[in-house]
Amino acid sequence: MKSPHMTSGFKLIIAVLALVASLPAYAALEIFACEPEWAALSKELGGDKVSIYAATTAKQDPHRIEARPSLIAHTRAADLLVCSGSELEVGWLPVLLQTSGNDKVQVGKPGYFMASDFVRKLELPSAVDRAHGDVHPYGNPHIQLDPRNIGRAAKPLSERLAQVDPANAAYYQARYKDFGSRWEKAIAEWEQRAAPLKGLRLVPYHKDSVYLIDWLGMVEVMNIEPKPGIPPSAGHLSDLLTKLTQQPADAIMYSAYQDPKAAGWLGERTKLPVVMLPYTVGGTPEAKDLYSLFDDSINRLLKAKK
Amino acid sequence: MFKQTVLAVAIVLAMALAAAGRAQTSPQLEDIRKQIQELKDGSDARIQALEKQLKDAEASTAKAQAAASEAQSAATQAKQTAEAKQAPAATQPTSSNAFNPALSLILQGGYYNASQDPNTRSITGFLPAGELGLPERGFYLGETEITLSANVDHLFYGQATLSIDNGNIGAEEAFFQTTSLGHGFTGKAGRFFSGVGYENSQHQHNWDFADDALVQQSFLGSNLKVDGVQVSWIAPTPLYLELGAEGGKPVEFPFPTSDHNANGLQVATLFARLGGDIGVSNSYLVGAWALQAKNSAVDQPVGFVDGVTGVSNLANGGNTKLWGLDFVYKWAPEGDRVDRNFKFIAEWMHRSFDSTLTYAAAGPGTQSGDFTANQSGWFVQGIYQFEPAWRAGLRYGQLDEGSYDLGPGLAGAPGLAPPDFTPKRVSAMLDWSPSEFSRFRLQYNQDNSQTGTTDNQIYLQYILSLGAHGAHKF
Repeated sequence: MKSPHMTSGFKLIIAVLALVASLPAYAALEIFACEPEWAALSKELGGDKVSIYAATTAKQDPHRIEARPSLIAHTRAADLLVCSGSELEVGWLPVLLQTSGNDKVQVGKPGYFMASDFVRKLELPSAVDRAHGDVHPYGNPHIQLDPRNIGRAAKPLSERLAQVDPANAAYYQARYKDFGSRWEKAIAEWEQRAAPLKGLRLVPYHKDSVYLIDWLGMVEVMNIEPKPGIPPSAGHLSDLLTKLTQQPADAIMYSAYQDPKAAGWLGERTKLPVVMLPYTVGGTPEAKDLYSLFDDSINRLLKAKK
Repeated sequence: MFKQTVLAVAIVLAMALAAAGRAQTSPQLEDIRKQIQELKDGSDARIQALEKQLKDAEASTAKAQAAASEAQSAATQAKQTAEAKQAPAATQPTSSNAFNPALSLILQGGYYNASQDPNTRSITGFLPAGELGLPERGFYLGETEITLSANVDHLFYGQATLSIDNGNIGAEEAFFQTTSLGHGFTGKAGRFFSGVGYENSQHQHNWDFADDALVQQSFLGSNLKVDGVQVSWIAPTPLYLELGAEGGKPVEFPFPTSDHNANGLQVATLFARLGGDIGVSNSYLVGAWALQAKNSAVDQPVGFVDGVTGVSNLANGGNTKLWGLDFVYKWAPEGDRVDRNFKFIAEWMHRSFDSTLTYAAAGPGTQSGDFTANQSGWFVQGIYQFEPAWRAGLRYGQLDEGSYDLGPGLAGAPGLAPPDFTPKRVSAMLDWSPSEFSRFRLQYNQDNSQTGTTDNQIYLQYILSLGAHGAHKF
């Protein structure tokens, strides 16, 4: 004898089970990319075998991200973290790792990939002291603006993809081969096109373009920030004006995620062109992927040079 | 270590190459080949790269049969390339200090100005005088916090936060937690801030005001610490869902340890949180929790007695049950909080505690019986960062003395009723943070938490953070 209650109870359980079973399982390899450039590189190398979550956008300062609930949920689901490393994410990534309950992406696991481990870093500080601002003890972490660094990170990343998803190892290897040769060609083209930029004297807002400046042989005259991570005061800006008369520059520069006010103020008074660079994929409407990121950065600098 | 070896080998190789270039003898090249063969077991990609360079160098060495100087320069170049390739290895810290835990130090203190003597301040119906944790008037040194943390090994992470306060050093938190359970599970054991509510697990230096909300202070004692275990689980969903439970022994007021020398759990909690983003600029977190504590201490919590006359003894507290809801909303344009951002926090808590009361009313004899107090409290606060270094905030909180359920033994006891008073406090603050590591705050409280008097409180406070870069929770 079945009671009507029992029947409906069973029906409910079966319905719930059916619903759970019909939920899309995470079929593809789940990648958590801390910054848009690593999401773009993961896409180049992983193709349709990976599903990518970009934790930040080009409009956000990667130093100052909140460990939001949504980021924890996505860290929980990740098979592979792809980040800059070198303490760029020190203010938020540790919280994500500690609270996510995901063993696959902890430090030292194959699922933990820090791109800056594979490049030669600039600005290794000889003294680590916060009197110098928010100094990164492992060198400048904004490595993505030298395309050769992206190339250097691509190979180990493709190997890492193959390691965490061995079933598709051949696929990742083929994608890397293809990307590697296209990327090398692109670098040669950019270098040729950017040749006139050599020696261009720039005043960037933050020390986040040193790799671009180093790559193209440009010169960083000074920064708008008095110290890394310290916003400029009005007094500091007027000091900069004086300094700029002694150390002439060609252009003032800031990144998409930074407040344009200080750069605009300086530009107005010095009559120097003010360039906004995308900094990463998505920073400008033109910078849609890794290729257009460099196309657009070079275009904008060339325009300022005129 | 391995990278060092590779670097050393690279330099040796490059030097050998230079020598080979000069001498143009094959035995040395043979030697190098042998070394490479030995290294092959490591099967590192870098070795392969070096091998390729060696082959290149060999080629140039062959060519150099005619021009020795050319070979020399090729070898030097190979050496430079090898060194450049290995440069990252040289940047890694190599001493045993590299394994030291991250160390951070928080300095706090300031100046406190109040119209009432802090030693006599109480929260009517909730906390007796002396339990409010107010600083002395004038200059004061706040809690100095030292935190050490590191991964213990491949399975565990450990952290200790020691607080130094008026000459006492205490373990604020000292716990280890798992990193390798997977499937969203994390286990924690030791002494830790309970996961209930929102404010409770925030360290003092991370508060948005110099003091905590009335309800937090009265029901959980700033930060409810637990000596015990915690398990939490994050659901495998894009929406953040966390479920957690704790069991152990509560530490300090309002759940003192003095009489918790007993087997089993003295406190157990359950909590759940749900959170996510709305677009790129908004995010939220809502939580619900419940706590049950065996409160075997004789005189705790006695705060409510203040303002009620005639109570001679509040004996052997029974269970304390707490439950609460919390809500956090944060906004930042485009999700970038550097220039401007806003956060809103609201919490509500309810407390119900049982005890046995001996009541000496006017007249002969006493009455004794069971007693349950049902109380609640809430606060709301908003903090707006209007400039990169400047934030302003407002907070309002109040407590509701609720009702007393009297057992048969106390029925009709005259005067045994909640004081007809609602403790309230309004706070306004302005703080300046010249960098991520320093903050200076001015705060004003209009404190009406004690019946009959208003205390105008002014804090001038500093919070400095030295050492390891702190990573804060949402």
